[in-house]
This record gives sequence, structure tokens and C-alpha cells, in this order.
Amino acid sequence: MTNNIVEMRNIVKIYPNGVVANDGVNFSVRRGEIHALVGENGAGKSTLMKILYGLERPTSGEIFVKGQPVQFRSPLDAIAMGIGMVHQDFMLVPSFTVAENIVLGMEPTRRGLIDRTEAIRITEELSQRYGLHVQADAVVDSINVGMRQRVEILKVLYRGAEILILDEPTAVLTPQETQDLFRSIRTLVEQGKTVIFITHKLREVKEISDRVTVMRRGKVVGTVLTSEATREELARMMVGREVLLSMDKPPQKRGAPVLRVRNLTYVSETGRTVLKDVTFNVHAGEILGVAGVEGNGQTELVEVLTGLRPATAGQASVEGKEILAATPRAVRQAGVAHIPEDRLNNGLALQATINENLIVDRYYRPPFRKGLFIDQQVVVEQGERLIREFDIRTPSGQVPVSSLSGGNMQKVIVAREFSAEPKLLIAAQPTRGIDVGATEFVRQQLVQKRTEGTAVLLVSADLAEVMSLSDRIIVMYEGEITGVFPDAAAVTEEELGLYMLGIKRMTMEEMEAVL
Amino acid sequence: MSRFLDSPTVRSIARVVLATTAALLLGFVITWLVSDDPIGAYKALLLGPVSRLNRFGDWIEESITLTFLGLAVALVFKAEQFSLGQEGQMVLGALVAGVVSLFVPLPAYFRIPLALLAAMTAGFLWGLIPGYLKAYLDANEIVSTLMLNVLAVKFYEYLLTYYIKPPNAGYTTSEKFPVEGVLPSFFPPIPGLENLRRTFVNQTNISVALYLLIVATIVVYYLMYRTPFGYELRMVGANIKFARYGGINTKRVIMLSMAISGILAGLAGAHLAMGIHRKLILNIQYGLGFEGIVVAILARNNPLAIPFTALAYGYLRAGADVMERTSDVSREMVLVIQGVIILLVTAERILPVVQKRVRARRGEDEDGAPPETLPPAPAAAEKGED
Ligand SMILES: Nc1ncnc2c1ncn2[C@@H]1O[C@H](COP(=O)(O)OP(=O)(O)OP(=O)(O)O)[C@@H](O)[C@H]1O
Ligand SMILES: [Mg+2]
Repeated sequence: MTNNIVEMRNIVKIYPNGVVANDGVNFSVRRGEIHALVGENGAGKSTLMKILYGLERPTSGEIFVKGQPVQFRSPLDAIAMGIGMVHQDFMLVPSFTVAENIVLGMEPTRRGLIDRTEAIRITEELSQRYGLHVQADAVVDSINVGMRQRVEILKVLYRGAEILILDEPTAVLTPQETQDLFRSIRTLVEQGKTVIFITHKLREVKEISDRVTVMRRGKVVGTVLTSEATREELARMMVGREVLLSMDKPPQKRGAPVLRVRNLTYVSETGRTVLKDVTFNVHAGEILGVAGVEGNGQTELVEVLTGLRPATAGQASVEGKEILAATPRAVRQAGVAHIPEDRLNNGLALQATINENLIVDRYYRPPFRKGLFIDQQVVVEQGERLIREFDIRTPSGQVPVSSLSGGNMQKVIVAREFSAEPKLLIAAQPTRGIDVGATEFVRQQLVQKRTEGTAVLLVSADLAEVMSLSDRIIVMYEGEITGVFPDAAAVTEEELGLYMLGIKRMTMEEMEAVL
Repeated sequence: MSRFLDSPTVRSIARVVLATTAALLLGFVITWLVSDDPIGAYKALLLGPVSRLNRFGDWIEESITLTFLGLAVALVFKAEQFSLGQEGQMVLGALVAGVVSLFVPLPAYFRIPLALLAAMTAGFLWGLIPGYLKAYLDANEIVSTLMLNVLAVKFYEYLLTYYIKPPNAGYTTSEKFPVEGVLPSFFPPIPGLENLRRTFVNQTNISVALYLLIVATIVVYYLMYRTPFGYELRMVGANIKFARYGGINTKRVIMLSMAISGILAGLAGAHLAMGIHRKLILNIQYGLGFEGIVVAILARNNPLAIPFTALAYGYLRAGADVMERTSDVSREMVLVIQGVIILLVTAERILPVVQKRVRARRGEDEDGAPPETLPPAPAAAEKGED
């Protein structure tokens, strides 16, 4: 009891819309430990942590920090007690520099003005001390997600946090960045901090945490020592049933090419050649996985193919229909569905309702359009059906998407794109940020679509995902295809890694036969 | 009951009532400081518009103009396009409506619809220009619409001064419109009520624009919430990247949102010319240029709430008029009150935050807020979905 730095008892949280997000939760964290918090999408993890951070008030329940009963009115109270939180979706000011963001709200001043030199000095010192590398004078807009995250963490540390809450910090990171983050977390703990860590990746739970608490539907299922639980057991606790952590794929029936890409080149506005002479096919009934370290042109490849960016040169066609010069709508009409990588920016309109989000590609045609109007009844019925089929946790389809948990937002996108019945499905990071149950579901659906004859182009930073789902794998390195593996089952992670890092590459002749 | 309280329309109206009350209290404090007869002066402000039939008429007429302008603004703002071009569109609407009323020799039942149609077209085209510039040339709509306003007003003055004004007239105004070019009274000629009708016709200019307004409100509501175009408009406003990703032609939507908004501003102009003034005068748009923005913001861009916020705001303006004429307090004071209202109502966060605090103090009773408080107003309040 005494070494519990945080103790939450019987926490109940009912949101104004009636959702019971926490239902009598007991949760405690020991001083100096790394405590993982896992659970399905919408289980109430973020809510519980928002309560601990003073962002939400519990409907009932008690909180003790360092043995003292507390009642937080706002995050300021929590910060005063040494609690800091890094959110699932970042909250930095994009036009400010890294140093300005870190000191924001507690700026060092000189003669009443912000002392920028001092801010930079503070940032560099913090960065040194905790091994979190950032570029103090860079504008946040221009830095990558990994660094943004380190900025968020430093910001919290600057405010004197002893207890750090990290809400799904790894969802947006590459495997390499994740390793860096873990190293920093260990440094933090060595220096006496306590870390609460939310994730959906059980592998990470095993790797980094001392203890793990599992939540399901607003309740705590249990807290166990990480060393005493297997991934399978944790998955079962989370979902309440057995979960397949590996995929069984029925044998492939490969059809004719659906997507043909020839010598695709894309030069960005800044003059950088992002895609160079990319050539490949995706056949009906196959999943073509694109492996590669993030930032090697995968994002641009997807955006060019879906009409969101103009290609510089080359051709691409879906069942013979040219798609490179086409508008996003024309691309969709050619039979392409797209799960975008950046769901908050591209995939959803947060203030709009779930139902409205589910019709963006089809509102203009029957049965959704009837005469001059959109048929509300059809919209509502489709919403109800997809919410049921895709197990989106929500009181109804009429609530704004912004009130959903992160993983349920992703399900809204998946529901829309899968139900479009595409010929070609382009899935970019389709399981990012969603729980094991939902991940299993999305993967099964991807495989099922492929088995039914859909062509699937899968882009994922999760190498294990690419390897377990794909029939064929291509590796992208610096905007080029550097390797093709016609039988995904026969390749090892190490082998792919060599190609991903640009250490090995195949010759055109080697690749031509299997592209 | 709680469903009723939850409806966004009810919420926006309730919010306005509360904000107005607070503002009026503050207004009284100020009156009390500056006036020798604060009670009398404030009575003029509060009861002025209903103290005489002609003043009542002024209020309703003004509210009709404000409704059209408010609808125009709500439509573009819903698409997150900050067009401020209502003034120019209105002035051109008045101009073409006036020209048709004055010079096209047709019977009333042709001339009036033609004049309205002309005003709508003028507004549409004057909105299409900045829409095109924004959508295809990425020109900032705030700048372009403000410039187009100046252009429209100067063009109006030029035509009025050199072509429309009778050469021997002392003032820069047109001839009075012939009856065939004036909007008829809203009061239908019901047998038995001739006297009442005559009173209204003699003392007020409340015209059939009142019915037009009801139709326009409903049309705008349906357009925004029930049609494919309205869906596109709202998605462009909610997240333009998402709209584009989903296949919506965002450039077309941006352009049309401004143009269609112009139709409503054009109608406001027609109402000014053919309903209220019944001739073309200099500065016909006087003091109205940006008032549609106030009305739309008060209604949180919800078309069904706009007639009500227009009435409330119009009342304040009409009352201020009476107060100015009958007391020692200047019209400037009403600007203070307006400022307070806008501040109170547009500072979106204030009210929900206060409510949350109050509720938290009372022990987290999330539902069943007592009637003196308002239900919380999340972003969903803007959805206007019933
Ligand atoms: N602001 C809100 N208003 C209403 N309901 C909400 C709000 N935030 C969350 N919820 C609901 O509360 C439940 C728990 O959400 P929470 O964000 O805590 O889940 P989570 O465990 O963090 O899920 P994820 O892994 O998907 O991030 C969900 O059903 C969600 O829809
Ligand atoms: Mg969450």
C-alpha cells in the first residue's frame, strides 16, 4: 500500500452521452515501475488516465497520489502533484519551435519577455539528461512523429512530472523509434520516475513493463506480473475469448493483374524525387505487402495511386482504367478503396457523425441519393448495419466520431472502405492503434477479401503484419523497389531487414520475372 | 422533455436568450451611468419596438433583411469559407431589383418575380467571383469579398447618380417604384378585416417577404442537411482533407457555397429596395453590411434558429433606434450592448465550461440540469440533425 504511488479506487465515469467508460475501476501503480495498461478499443484506458490527469472528472470514486487523497479540478492540479500525460493524439503548437513548445505555459522570462536562449538551453539540458534527442530550434511542423513524441515527453518532464502517462506512444512509431523510446523509458525509471504505458502491442508489454493491468468494457480484469503472463493469456483476458495472434490463410487463387503500375515517378514540390520508376502489379486474389522503413515513399505511393497527389511520370491502371490523372472520386469509381495512413486528417471528419462519415464515397448515388435528397433512412440503416458488423462501440450512429475511442475511429474507416466492395483495396497501416481483437478482425477481413478475389495492396510499418498477411512482398527503399519476394512465407525478417536498410538490393533482371 | 432541450435549435435559442439577458443587464448599468432618466431611456430601448405599430413594423422589416443575410452567412460559414461579401451582393440585388421594378413594363405578377429572380442572379454571380478566385486561384476570400463590396457599392452609386436618378431631382434617389414593382403587404385581403389591413398597410411596410423568408429558411435547412450538396458543404467545412479523400469535388463546393450564399444576400437587397424603401436611395445598405455575421454566429449557423436570432437582434437594433430618438442616450451605447452579446455568445467555451463547473460542484449530476441552466453545447450542437 505504502509503495503505491498512485491508487485509484472504485472509479466510475459516465460521459454526458450515457457511455459508462469506467465502471468501478481499481488501479494502482508502484513507485518506480513501468506499468502497462492494455485493453480493447473503448475499454476505458484513456478515460481512466484522463481522470488521473485531471482532464475528466470521475462520476464517483477516490484517487490517492503518494498516499494523499486528491481531487483534481484540472490538469494543473495533477501537474502540481507530479503527474504528466502524453496524449494519444499530440497536442503541440505546430508553428512554434520545439523549445517554445516545451516551455509553453511556464516560459523562462527576462524583463517580462520570453527568454528564447534560456528556453533552448533548458530543452537541451533536459534532452541530455533523459536521453531524448530533439532539435531545440526546429519548428514542430517540420519534425517527424518520433521527435514530436519526444518533445511531448520532455514537455511533461519540464513540468516536474514524476509519474508519466504515455497513451499509446508507439502507435505512430517505427520499430526503430520504438526501441529508442524504450531506451529512454528505462533511463527515466532509473532516475526514479514511474511510467504508465498504454499499448495494444502485447510484444511491447512483454518487452518493457514490470506489471500489466488489463481492462475490458470499463472494468479491470486483472493486474499481473508481466513475467508471469504469456501474450496469449493477456490477449484472452482483454477480449474474453481465444485470439489468434497468427493468421491462417487459405491457399491462394491468384487471378489476373488488377493494378498495374509502370515506371511511376513522383517528384515532390520541393524537388525531391520521392518515387523513382516504380513498377509492379497487384493481382486479383493476392495481398501484396509493401515493406520498408517509414518515409521511403510508401505514403506518397498510396497518395499518388488514390488521386490525392499528382504523379510526375508513369502509368497506373485498375483493370485497364487509367487512374493517375483521375480525381479521387474517379479512382474510387474505378473500384479502389483506401484505408488512409493518417486517419484523423484524411480518413474522418471528427465533428461529423458516424453515419455521415460512412457515406462520404457513396452519398451521391442510389440508394443513398433519392431524387434531390439523401435518403436519411438508408443512411441510418447502413450505419446500424456497419456498426453491428464491424463491432463499433458507440451508443448510435448519430454521435460525432470525435466521441469514439481511437480504435473505434479506425473501425469506422475500415467499415466504410471494406463495404465499398472494391476491386483493389489499398490499406495503409490498417491496424495501427487498434486492439488485438480488432486487429485480428481487420486481418481476417483483409484475408477474406483477398480469398474472394479482391486485390489488396498492404502498406504497414509492422513487419510482422506484412509477413504474416502477404502473399508477395516488395521492399521499398528511398523511393525504389529494391527487392521482390514472390513467396512471403519463405522470407525471413533478417533478410527483409537487409533490403529495408538498403544494404542489399536485387538487380532489375532478378526482379522483372516476379513483378 | 430532455430530448427537446437537447435539440440544437432549442439550445441555440436558449443560449441567445441567456446571453441577451446578461447583456441587457449590463446595458442598463451603462444607461444608468450616462442618462438623467435611465428608466425612461431603458424603457424606450426595451419596449420601443412594440410601443407603436409603425415601430413594430420597422422591427419586423429589419428582421426580415437580417434573416436573409444571416442565412447567407450561415451557408458559407458552414463550409468554413469566410466570405464577407454579403454587402456587395445585397447592394447589387437591390440595384437590379430596383431597375426591373422601375423600368420593365410588366404587370405586377410578372414584374415582381422577375425582379426577385434578377436580384438572386446578381447575388449568385457576385458570390461566384470570389468563390472561383478562392477555389481555383487560392485567393483569400476575406480580401476578395471586401474588395468586391467596395466595387459593388461604387457601381451602385454611379448608376444611381448618373442614370437612375431623375435629372431634376434634388436628392440622389430614384423615382418611387410603381405599385407593380413593390412587394405587396403580407396581410391578405380577407373580407371583414379590411380596416385592420389598411392600418397595417398605412403604418408598416411588412411585405410578402415575410413568407419568402419562411420558405428560404426551410429551403436552406433542407439544402444543408438533406441534399448531397449540403452534405458536401458540411464535410468541406468539417474537414476538407477528408472531403477530398472521399471524392468530393472540394473546389466546386467552395465556389458554389459562396455563390449560393449570394442568392440569399441578393434577396435581402431586393427586400430593401422593393419592400422597405420602395425606391433606390444612396447608402441603401447602411449599417447592415456585416450584421448577417452577427445573426449567423448567434444562431451557430443553424438555419432554423436564424429567423429567431434575427428577430432578437433586430429588436435590439430597433429599440436602439427608438431610444436614440426619444432619450438623451446615444446610439453608440447599443454598440456596447451588441459587443457584449457577441462576446458572450461567441465565446463558445465560456458557457459549457461554467455549466461543467457548476454541475461538478453539485456532484456530477450529468442529466436533468435544472431549467435555469443550459444543456452542455458540444460540437454536436452545430450539427442541426434532429
Ligand atoms: N468525450 C467523450 N464523450 C463521450 N463518450 C466518450 C468520450 N470519450 C470517450 N468516450 C467513450 O468512452 C469509452 C471509453 O473510451 P476510451 O477513449 O477511454 O477508450 P480506450 O480504452 O482509450 O480505447 P482506445 O484503445 O481505442 O484508445 C468509449 O466507448 C468511447 O466511445
Ligand atoms: Mg485511448
